[in-house]
Amino acid sequence: MNIPIFLAANLVTETAENFGFDVKIFLSQVISFVIVALLLKQFAYKPILAVLEERRQRIAEGLLNAEKIKQQLAEAEQRYQEILAKGNGEAQKMIDEARASAGVIAERKQQEAIVAAEQILAKAREASALEHERTMSQLKRELGRLVIDTTAKVTGKVLTRDDQRRLQEEASRQVAS
Amino acid sequence: MINRSFRQLPLLLSLLSLLIFGGFASDAEAQETAAPEAGAVAEKHEAIPLKAAPLFTIGKFTVTNSMLVTWVVALGIIVFAQTATRKIKQIPTGAQNFWEWLVEGLYNFLESVIGSHLVRKTFWFFATIFIFILFLNWFGLIPGVGTIGWGHHDPVTNVFHVDRPLLRGANADLNLTFAMAAIFFTLWIFWALQENGVGGFIIHLFGPKGDSKGILKVLMIVVFFMVGWLEIVSILFRPISLSFRLYGNVYAGENMLESMAHIVPALSWLIPIPFYFMELLVGLVQALVFMLLTAVFTLLIAHHEPAQGVHH
Repeated sequence: MNIPIFLAANLVTETAENFGFDVKIFLSQVISFVIVALLLKQFAYKPILAVLEERRQRIAEGLLNAEKIKQQLAEAEQRYQEILAKGNGEAQKMIDEARASAGVIAERKQQEAIVAAEQILAKAREASALEHERTMSQLKRELGRLVIDTTAKVTGKVLTRDDQRRLQEEASRQVAS
Repeated sequence: MINRSFRQLPLLLSLLSLLIFGGFASDAEAQETAAPEAGAVAEKHEAIPLKAAPLFTIGKFTVTNSMLVTWVVALGIIVFAQTATRKIKQIPTGAQNFWEWLVEGLYNFLESVIGSHLVRKTFWFFATIFIFILFLNWFGLIPGVGTIGWGHHDPVTNVFHVDRPLLRGANADLNLTFAMAAIFFTLWIFWALQENGVGGFIIHLFGPKGDSKGILKVLMIVVFFMVGWLEIVSILFRPISLSFRLYGNVYAGENMLESMAHIVPALSWLIPIPFYFMELLVGLVQALVFMLLTAVFTLLIAHHEPAQGVHH
């Protein structure tokens, strides 16, 4: 049992010697590597990883902010559209109301104008009738006077008041018919 | 379900990388075995030694050429990282931009493999593993590494041979690869205990998986108890396999470049060029493989199966 272990140990020792293994050099290389690793860990990896992490956070923050801004922009756009739609609605309503009130006013004014025109017409007719009446009276009077004068000249006698009245009435009746 | 499938994608990619790596490893091993034959054809003494060469001693402590490269690259990485992160700006430029790209890319990649919870805890280690191995591998390809140093002049061939190079690819030294593997092994145990607790860790290793009842459950308990021991052996061998895989590939790559440089002496400047490009790729793949394997090992031990009802 001890022989294989001895042989193995001998083989290991021989191999180590052949390949130049030396405990002191080995330990020196261990120390060298550990120093390099620790120095790099402290002064080369930590600052770089920290700055990478900081940059990653900044990028994430920037993206988040961009997303927020995008969302706010969309909300503002929506609000703008809502306000615009509301304004349009109100304007349309005002236009409709104005149209409606203008129609009512126009109708009222039209009715007033019609009434005024009718009144003017009625007054004109009344004035015309009065004028006609007055003309007819004047005509009758003038015609009666002409008939009396003509009769007096034709007959050569002085007509009495009764004759004159009778001729006047006769002439008026003729004119009226 | 779709998310789960997507989460499996990096693992599949990892396995694909491993297959690619396997190809490289096989090539590397083939090169390693073929190297002496090629060397026999060209010049036997051209093979790079398995060990790093000592440069000088400080008391009883020997400094090797691979250690020097380790320190130079470590210093370079630290200085660059410090320069890049000295004045951090929200809009990055220059070195900060490159460092951010590297760190963020690695973080996202690891997060897709092991999840956001584990990556927060383990990123520092896996990122360092990748960056350190990658730049060590690529540093080893700089002309002059392995070719400038102390040597002798061969009067027969009239060529100067470097016996003790000033610099050597750091991952072509088992001490460093094994050091990284050992550190991972220690951290792996720590993270496993942190995630599972002692009891959960043991259940994770030996506990039966899946839903079974009656006699089948008893059988499953026995089977998974035995599988647990195999798992322990596998876990104990991980540092060996991790370190030798990286070491073997880098060492084989250096040997291949050396062989290609000497295969036709008149074209020693031309022939290695395509292999340099391949070694650039191998350097990247090996860094990726080491990081992915260690990450997947960590994920496997920290992954909780919902069917078992273990909550932490």
